[in-house]
Amino acid sequence: MTLIDVSGLVTGYGNGSPALSGVTFALGEGQALAVLGPNGGGKTTLLRVLLGELPVLAGSCRVAGRPAYVAQSGRARLDFPVSALDVVLMGAYARTPAWRRLRRAERTRAHAMLERVGMDAQAGQRFGALSGGQRQRVLIARALLQDAPLLLLDEPFTGVDRTSEAGLLAILDELRAEGRGLLVSTHDIEHARRWDLVLCVNGAQVAFGPPADALTAHALHATYGEEMVSIDGETVAVHSHGCG
Amino acid sequence: MLELLDSELLRRALAEVVLLGVVCGPLGVWILHLRHTYAAESLAHAMLPGLVLASLAGAPLVLGAAGGIIAAALLIALAARDRRIGSELAVAVTVGALFGLGVALALAPDTPAKLSELLFGDPLGASYGDLAVAAGLGLVVLVALGAGGRALRVTAFDAASARSLGVSPGRTSGALLVLLGVAIVASVQGLGNLLVLALLVAPAAAALRASDRLAVQLRLAALLGALAGVGGMELSYVADVAAGPAVALVACAFAVLASLWPGRRDGVVRRGPIEGLAGGR
Amino acid sequence: MDPFSTPYMQRALLAVVLLAIAGGLFGAWIALRRLAFFTHAVGTATFPGLVIAGPAGIAAPVAALGAALVYTAGLARLLRDGRLGADAATGLLLVAALAIGSILAGDVFEAGAGVDRLLFGTLLGLSETDLWLAGAVAALAVACTALAGRTWLATGFDPGGARALGVRSGLGDWLLLAMLALAVVAALPAVGALLVSTLLVVPSATARLLASSMRGLLGGGVALALGEGIGGLWLADAVNLPPGPAIAVLGGAVFGVVALARAAA
Repeated sequence: MTLIDVSGLVTGYGNGSPALSGVTFALGEGQALAVLGPNGGGKTTLLRVLLGELPVLAGSCRVAGRPAYVAQSGRARLDFPVSALDVVLMGAYARTPAWRRLRRAERTRAHAMLERVGMDAQAGQRFGALSGGQRQRVLIARALLQDAPLLLLDEPFTGVDRTSEAGLLAILDELRAEGRGLLVSTHDIEHARRWDLVLCVNGAQVAFGPPADALTAHALHATYGEEMVSIDGETVAVHSHGCG
Repeated sequence: MLELLDSELLRRALAEVVLLGVVCGPLGVWILHLRHTYAAESLAHAMLPGLVLASLAGAPLVLGAAGGIIAAALLIALAARDRRIGSELAVAVTVGALFGLGVALALAPDTPAKLSELLFGDPLGASYGDLAVAAGLGLVVLVALGAGGRALRVTAFDAASARSLGVSPGRTSGALLVLLGVAIVASVQGLGNLLVLALLVAPAAAALRASDRLAVQLRLAALLGALAGVGGMELSYVADVAAGPAVALVACAFAVLASLWPGRRDGVVRRGPIEGLAGGR
Repeated sequence: MDPFSTPYMQRALLAVVLLAIAGGLFGAWIALRRLAFFTHAVGTATFPGLVIAGPAGIAAPVAALGAALVYTAGLARLLRDGRLGADAATGLLLVAALAIGSILAGDVFEAGAGVDRLLFGTLLGLSETDLWLAGAVAALAVACTALAGRTWLATGFDPGGARALGVRSGLGDWLLLAMLALAVVAALPAVGALLVSTLLVVPSATARLLASSMRGLLGGGVALALGEGIGGLWLADAVNLPPGPAIAVLGGAVFGVVALARAAA
C-alpha cells in the first residue's frame, strides 16, 4: 500500500513566495525515506505539509491516515509539568473521545512502548528533566503508541549521543521490518545510505530515488552548496549548527 | 472570620468572590501555560466602554460586559494582524483607545457612571441574580476546562506535534480565549475590570511555583483563589477597606510570597534588561 | 471663545507641547524595543505613590518615581528565575499596584474626584513644577536622541551583535529605562497614571505605520503627539473631561483611520 503519494507539490507559508516546490515522490509500506537538506531548505516544511499544517499551493499530496510525528525534541516546552509517561499517553488522545478517560489498557501499552525504547524506568520523571537523547526516545514511544502506519521524524538524531543513536537506528529498523513507513529528515548522509529512498531538497526537490541514484556528488552539491566538504574521497555534508 | 457570615450582604459577597477564585484559579493556570496573560489584561481593560454603556443605560452589567468584550476581542484581533508594527504595539494602542473611550463615556455625562466600581469592583453590591449568573458562567468555564484538558495539555506542551495527535492548537487557543472572556464577564461585578487579572494570574502563578505536576497546579490554584476571596473579604471587613481591591491584594500576596520561596532554578538564559522586560517577543 | 485664552489652558497647552516632544521621541524606542506594555505598566504602578504623596508630605513626582522604581525592581526580581513570563510578571505587579493604590485612596480621598485626577490627569491643576519637569524631560529626550539614539537602535535590531559591544549596550538599556521612568512621571499630571500611553505610545505607533526611516518615525511621532495632544486638550475643555481620556480617544481614532487607510490601499 502506498502511504505517501506526492506529485508536483508546491507549499509555503501563505505570504508570497513558496517555501518548497517541485516535490514528487512516493513511499510505501516497509520503506524508510531520508530527507536531506540544509537548514532552512524545506525539510521541516515538507513534514508540516504532509501533516496537513501547511496549504498545498499546487500539485497534489496524498497521505494515508494520520501520521505519527516526532518533532525535534527541543521544540516542546521543557518547563511544562508532564512526566515521560504523560507524554507517551498523548499518543492515545486521537483515538479516545474527549469525554472518556484513557483506558487502563492504554497505560499498560504506554509502559510497554517506553520499555521498547528503554525508558520505562524513567516513566515518572518530568519530561523536561531528561537528556536530549532520552527525550527523543520518549517522543518515539509516543509515536509508537499512536500505532500509525506512517511515522514522520524531524531530525531525530540531532543532539543525540552515539549510544542512543545506535539504539534509535535499531528501533527504526524494527519499525521498517514491521511494515510501517518512515520518513526521516536528517543531516547525516551515512544514515541516508542505509535506507531505501533518499529525497534531497533545497527550496525545491533536487533528487529522489534509492541512495545510489540520489546521492550523487552533483545532487549533493546542488543540495548543500557551500556546506560540502570532501574527505578522503567521501563527500560529507558539514552543517553549521545555526545560531539564528 | 465568622462575622463574614453575619449579614446576607456579606454572605453573598463572600460567595461571589470565592466562586470567582475557584473558577479563575484553574483557568489562570492554563492562561499562564499558554502564555495568554497579555491577552487577558488587554481584554479586561478594553471592555470598559461596554460596561459604562450598560451602567448608563441601567442595563445589567453582564450584558455590557459581554458586548464590551466581544467588541474588544474583534478590534484587538484586527489590530494584532498588522504586520508593520507588530501585535504587541497594535494591541496596546487599541486597548488604550478603548479604555480611554470608556473613561470618557463614564465621565462626560452630567450624571457620571460609577466609574470606580466598574474599575475596582463592588462585591457588596452583588445581587442574587449576579451570583446566579456568575455561578452559571463559572460552571461553563470549569466544565469546558475539564473537557478540553487534553487539548490544552498538548497545545501548551508541544504545539508542533498537535495536529498529529488529533488536536488543533489554533482552535484550542481560541477556545481558551473565549473561556477567558466568559470568566472576565463573570468577574466584573466582584472585581471590576482592572482587578480581575489578579484572580486570573496570581493564584495560578503561586500554584505553578509550588508544584511540578499539572493536576496539583490546577487544584491548588482553585484553592488559593478561594482563599484569596475569603482572606480578602476578611481584610476588607477588619481594615475597613474596599472589598474588590482587598481580594486582589491577598491574591497577589500569595503569588509574591510563592515567588520569594527558594526554589529550583531551571538554568535560565541571561538576557539584557530590555529583552527580559519585552518578554522576548 | 478661544479656549486657549485662559491661564490654566495656556499652562496645560505648554505642558502638553513639552510632553508631546518627549513622547514622540521616546515613543520611537518604545515602539521599536517593544516596551509598550512595560511603559503602560510603569505608569499604572505610580498610582500608589501618587495617592500617598500628599499625606506623606512628599512631592508627587518624587513619590511617583519611587513607586516606579519599586515596581521595576520587583519586576526584575520576579523575572530573575525565569519561571514567570515577562507578561505575567508585569501584569501581576501592575494589578497589585492598582489594588494597593485603590485601598490607600479609600483612606486618603473621601470623594472619587481626587482619584480621577490621579488616574486620568487634570486640566486645571497643573503646577509650575509640573511644567518644569515636562520641560526637563523634553530636553532630555532631545539630548538622548542625539547622543544615545544610535546605541538604542543598534541594540534593538541586533541584540547579539550589540552584546559584543559589551558593557556599553547594557548601560544604554538601563539609560533608556531610566528615561522612560522620568517621561512617565512627567506625563502623570496631565494624562494620569492609567493613560500615559496616550502620549508615549500611541502617536509613535501611528507614526510607525507611516514612516520608513528613523527620522520619519521620530518626526512623525512628535508631530502626531503634538496634534493629538493639543486637539485632545481642546476636546477635553469642550466636553469637560480630563485630558487623558480625551487625548486617548483622539489618538485612537487617528490610529484607526491611518490603519484602515493602509489596509485599503
